[in-house]
Amino acid sequence: KMADTVSSGSSTRSGGKHSTTPADNYYLARRRTLQVVVSSLLTEAGFESAEKAAVETLTEMLQSYVSEIGRSAKSYCEHTARTQPTLSDIVVTLVEMGFNVETLPAYAKRSQRMVITAPPVTNQPGTPKALTAGQNKPHPSHIPGHFPEFPDPHTYIKTPTYREPVSDYQILREKAASQRRDVERALTRFMAKTGETQSLFKDDVSTFPLIAARPFTIPYLTALLPSELEMQQMEETDSSEQDDQTDTENLPLHMSTDDSGAEKENASVLQQNASLSGSRNGEESLIDNPYLRPVKKPKIRRKK
Amino acid sequence: MSLLVPAPSDGPMSNGVYVPPSVANGDVKPVVSTTPLVDFLMQLEDYTPTIPDAVTGYYLNRAGFEASDPRIIRLISLAAQKFISDIANDALQHCKMKGTASGSSRNKSKDKKYTLTMEDLMPALAEYGINVKKPHYFT
Repeated sequence: KMADTVSSGSSTRSGGKHSTTPADNYYLARRRTLQVVVSSLLTEAGFESAEKAAVETLTEMLQSYVSEIGRSAKSYCEHTARTQPTLSDIVVTLVEMGFNVETLPAYAKRSQRMVITAPPVTNQPGTPKALTAGQNKPHPSHIPGHFPEFPDPHTYIKTPTYREPVSDYQILREKAASQRRDVERALTRFMAKTGETQSLFKDDVSTFPLIAARPFTIPYLTALLPSELEMQQMEETDSSEQDDQTDTENLPLHMSTDDSGAEKENASVLQQNASLSGSRNGEESLIDNPYLRPVKKPKIRRKK
Repeated sequence: MSLLVPAPSDGPMSNGVYVPPSVANGDVKPVVSTTPLVDFLMQLEDYTPTIPDAVTGYYLNRAGFEASDPRIIRLISLAAQKFISDIANDALQHCKMKGTASGSSRNKSKDKKYTLTMEDLMPALAEYGINVKKPHYFT
């Protein structure tokens, strides 16, 4: 069977399958009603059954008769410079078409009359309630009311979406680790570029620069000295309670409250207390590079 | 002072209807000039035609006819119905004539089942000047 792509309704009789648009359905529904009307008229006349071709012929005739009456009545009406057809126009039309008007009242009062229900009026199926989102925008004043409504707002309004940040522990750890490695590498390279470098290879200086090691006079000093943080804390508490207590008494007490390995250095700190500040001052004067200055931590008040 | 009223005479103008002189002589039967179906239209609300108003209105709108009065639509649908039923009656006559032409049983009349066939419809339509020809067979 060949697929029938003709969209007119008159080809519904032949076999091909074709899709019907809503306009076609509209047309077909009314045509079907006319067929029913013709069948009822035939039944009234006394026929029990009829050939399909005969019913189709009469349906076609009925439809074209009604259309012709409409067209002709409209023409007569416009012929007399009017727009609204009146009864006279229709009477003239019927007379012109050879219809005996005087018999019409008699026909109307005939005994057996059948009434057929009109084809149901179906509303346009709008978007189902479940799919609508948000209010449709109302018409601006310059748009007439019979125009279709605006579509749902989500079709033309752009709302940016944010992806939820990744909170998987493994991924986060991986990210943190790779970030730290990148930072360390960048930092060491930076230090190599800004400070003194020693090269691993004799000829090639720039490929693998090593940060130059600064030889200290007393190499073991850094191991014995407390870390920067401890020293800052020492300094802070030292300066805050200088007027109340003596230094020597408080220092071991404060040193014992520090976290990192303070017990080892208690004894040596007492002896090197005097040289401590001195060496620190000396170191500070040597450090010119602003990026290498010690980190300034906020003052933390510690209660005794 | 009396108003000058033209006295109704049997001249050409009487009752507001222009009657040509030949008609007044009685040669030609005058056509009624008042709209014939005015009274009928008033009674039309009682008689609902078989064709629904929506369907007739749909086809009239397609032809460009916008009806102001729904009774006009009923009138047209009634006229169309009568047209079809006249043809159907003629076809029935043909069918009956064919049935009893061969002189079948007298006691019982032709069986009440009449089927409208194209063979009956064609001569009925031919009297109206409509010629239909269907192929004898079609796939």
